[in-house]
Amino acid sequence: MKMYRSKGNIIFDAIIYFVMIFVLLICLVPFLYMLAVSLSDPKAIINNEVSFIPIGVNVEAYKQIFAYPNFFRAYGNTIFYTLGGTSISVMMTALFAYPLSKTFLKGQKFAMKMVVFSMFFSGGLIPNYLLISNLGLTGTRFAMLLPFAINQFNLIILINFFKSIPNEIEEAALIDGLGYFGILVRIIVPLSKAALATIGLYTAVFFWNDWFNGLIYLNTDQFPVMLFLRNIVNGTSMLGDAAGSADKATIAISIKSAVIITSTLPIIILYPFLQKYFVKGLTVGSVKG
Amino acid sequence: MKKCVSLLLVISMVVVLLSACAKKEPVKVDNKDGENVTNVDNGTDGEKEDPVKIRIYYSDNATLPFKDDWLTVTEAEKMFNVDFEFEVIPIADYATKVSLALNTGNNTPDVILYQTTKGENASLALNGALVPISDYADFTPHFNARVEAFGLTETVDKLKLADDKRYYLPSLFDIPFYDGGLILREDFLDAEGLEAPKTFDDLYKILKAYKEKNPDSYPLTILAGPRVLYRMTMPSYGVSVGKNGASGTNTLSWDYDKKEYFAGAISEGYKGYISYLAKLYAEGLLDPEMADPINGDAWSQKMATGKAMATYAYYDQIGGLTGASDIEGFKLQMYPSLEGPAGAHHQPKSRTGSGIMFPAATAKRDDFERVVRTIDNVFFSEEGARLWCLGVEGVTYTEENGKITYSDELVNAKEGVYKSLQVNHGCGSDVTQLVWINEREMTKYDENYSRINAEVAAMGNVIQEIPPTPLFDDMTAEDAGVLQTPLFDTFEVWADAFITGRKDVEADWDAYVKEMKTLRIDEFNKLYNDNLGK
Repeated sequence: MKMYRSKGNIIFDAIIYFVMIFVLLICLVPFLYMLAVSLSDPKAIINNEVSFIPIGVNVEAYKQIFAYPNFFRAYGNTIFYTLGGTSISVMMTALFAYPLSKTFLKGQKFAMKMVVFSMFFSGGLIPNYLLISNLGLTGTRFAMLLPFAINQFNLIILINFFKSIPNEIEEAALIDGLGYFGILVRIIVPLSKAALATIGLYTAVFFWNDWFNGLIYLNTDQFPVMLFLRNIVNGTSMLGDAAGSADKATIAISIKSAVIITSTLPIIILYPFLQKYFVKGLTVGSVKG
Repeated sequence: MKKCVSLLLVISMVVVLLSACAKKEPVKVDNKDGENVTNVDNGTDGEKEDPVKIRIYYSDNATLPFKDDWLTVTEAEKMFNVDFEFEVIPIADYATKVSLALNTGNNTPDVILYQTTKGENASLALNGALVPISDYADFTPHFNARVEAFGLTETVDKLKLADDKRYYLPSLFDIPFYDGGLILREDFLDAEGLEAPKTFDDLYKILKAYKEKNPDSYPLTILAGPRVLYRMTMPSYGVSVGKNGASGTNTLSWDYDKKEYFAGAISEGYKGYISYLAKLYAEGLLDPEMADPINGDAWSQKMATGKAMATYAYYDQIGGLTGASDIEGFKLQMYPSLEGPAGAHHQPKSRTGSGIMFPAATAKRDDFERVVRTIDNVFFSEEGARLWCLGVEGVTYTEENGKITYSDELVNAKEGVYKSLQVNHGCGSDVTQLVWINEREMTKYDENYSRINAEVAAMGNVIQEIPPTPLFDDMTAEDAGVLQTPLFDTFEVWADAFITGRKDVEADWDAYVKEMKTLRIDEFNKLYNDNLGK
């Protein structure tokens, strides 16, 4: 197809490109700067010579953070929580969403209302803590995995997606002798890969970024890497109100940058490959079949 | 029927929710003062027993990351027959974790380090979440002896709460350190033939001279935030107000002669101080970015590139800068406090600091006495104090005729003895070192630092005591809070306006005083004075 390119069209395209490149730079520049700083010589940083290209390349900052006693353990913990938590969450959400997608089921409407109710009103920090604690989960890794198994927002997305699958398929399976569990596992789940991938990604990002639940429920050797990152990037500046020695503690920007790069890199690398699901996720479940 | 079931479910849900919120009965701690006291000395009795297990909260600072194989930790476990289980919590979230543990009484450790009974902890203590450790004075002989030796009996007594009980073992200082202050480029003074500054006028002349040579510079900058500058300089003008003013009132100051509070924010001392800053600002001698906190990197850049030549910061921070600057002959030096109208004073400091708390649950342990005695041994006995300060004799240092010599590894360390001892061995951490002896500390620093400290000590009362905190009950505390907030907000707005020249100190001073009086600063002051020593 031959496109007609008038002068106006070309100018319009140029403006679009210009705006898009500008937006891209806004996202990219801080990241590139951090990368350059993390790889630069401290002397060059102090003398304000670093822009986007590392000056006097050295990996000292990375060596230092790898020497932090808990860095790798915390990193491993985060990977575990992300993988484990996401698997549990996807499985539990699917198991709950499927019956809730059946409007003929007794009590379905009531259960739906309860889900929505708990989405808007929660117990609050202390009651939640007491609940987790009385269940004997504090200080165990399950405290990170189980309480967040079902997110109401993801659940509603999935319920609507399940509703959009034609009933005829299920009826055929019923006639062929499959039970409802079999239908879920063999028919519904394979048909819902896009939806499951979407909520899986939402959940994975949640688990990757979460630090607060780790802080309150877990013990030191179970802390996720984000808590570690927060301590390095923010820890000393948060001390502002404490008089005296706290002001002495400063951490080199190269180390802060190196930590940020190291702990965000996996998600950044993963994102371009999975972002199509995110885009899909915005519309998944929004239209009923 | 359907409606009935729904109603039942809703009711049961509400009941479950409410029961989760139900208040836990405060744990009562029996007063065992004087009972069953056996004379356990330095843990020697414990050697035949199994090590006592103590779970302990540790506030972790990213500049000094905790290692459980630190020489201090492993050695303390061996020396005092104890098995520590450290819960290492990032300092930024330490208060949250402690608050949660104490509020819920769940999953609490046996011991919490690096805490005081200010703020929330005070009401938690009064509600029974903490052990009133002053009731168990017999279990803490080393602490008691140390308090007496340092002459801190009265100071430590003042840490008692409204019920006349003390709920923590504070860290103890024999003499406060002069660890930060005016730092400026000695090479510039030498090149220009200028004398070391003694007064604020001297400082003004130096800054002025630098500005003339470097018109695009702002010679005086600060690290962290304006509060550091205020804290370290205001006392020379007889006041200590603003955020982190020593009194914690933000607008009142302490009269050391009359031993009472006065309205510092509207005093002549403050007027003189703010006029001085306004003059520096108007002539481009004060960093205009100082209104916001300046982070360590930006500060280093300003100093190393010559955009600034003087600063208020801490001695520890000079080292990294000196080697990093491209300026030839670049040399920073710290100077004793400058003299102002009220003499030469540094920020007031307390001779007690954050210390050790015992959650109420610890008192329920059968071996509670042993736990307290062990903690007392580990942190306050002479062996313990030396361990957390110097490390292990023969490994990190040797001592001959009272002279301490550090190991070659430490002496030759790039980051210096102090930092190297901290990072590699865990000595000198604010969290675990609870006994601070000035003379012993000075052995870790270079001669220059010791010389400055000696100079400051010779000047007399440079570092004053922190003013006493009035003992408000909940209602009075609320009243004080209501008065304090608008006063402080107004103070801040005017302080900025005065410094930046939007308001003229001479012309607008009366309007400012009038506004502060309308906001009842005198009543606020009276509230403080009336509740002193209650």
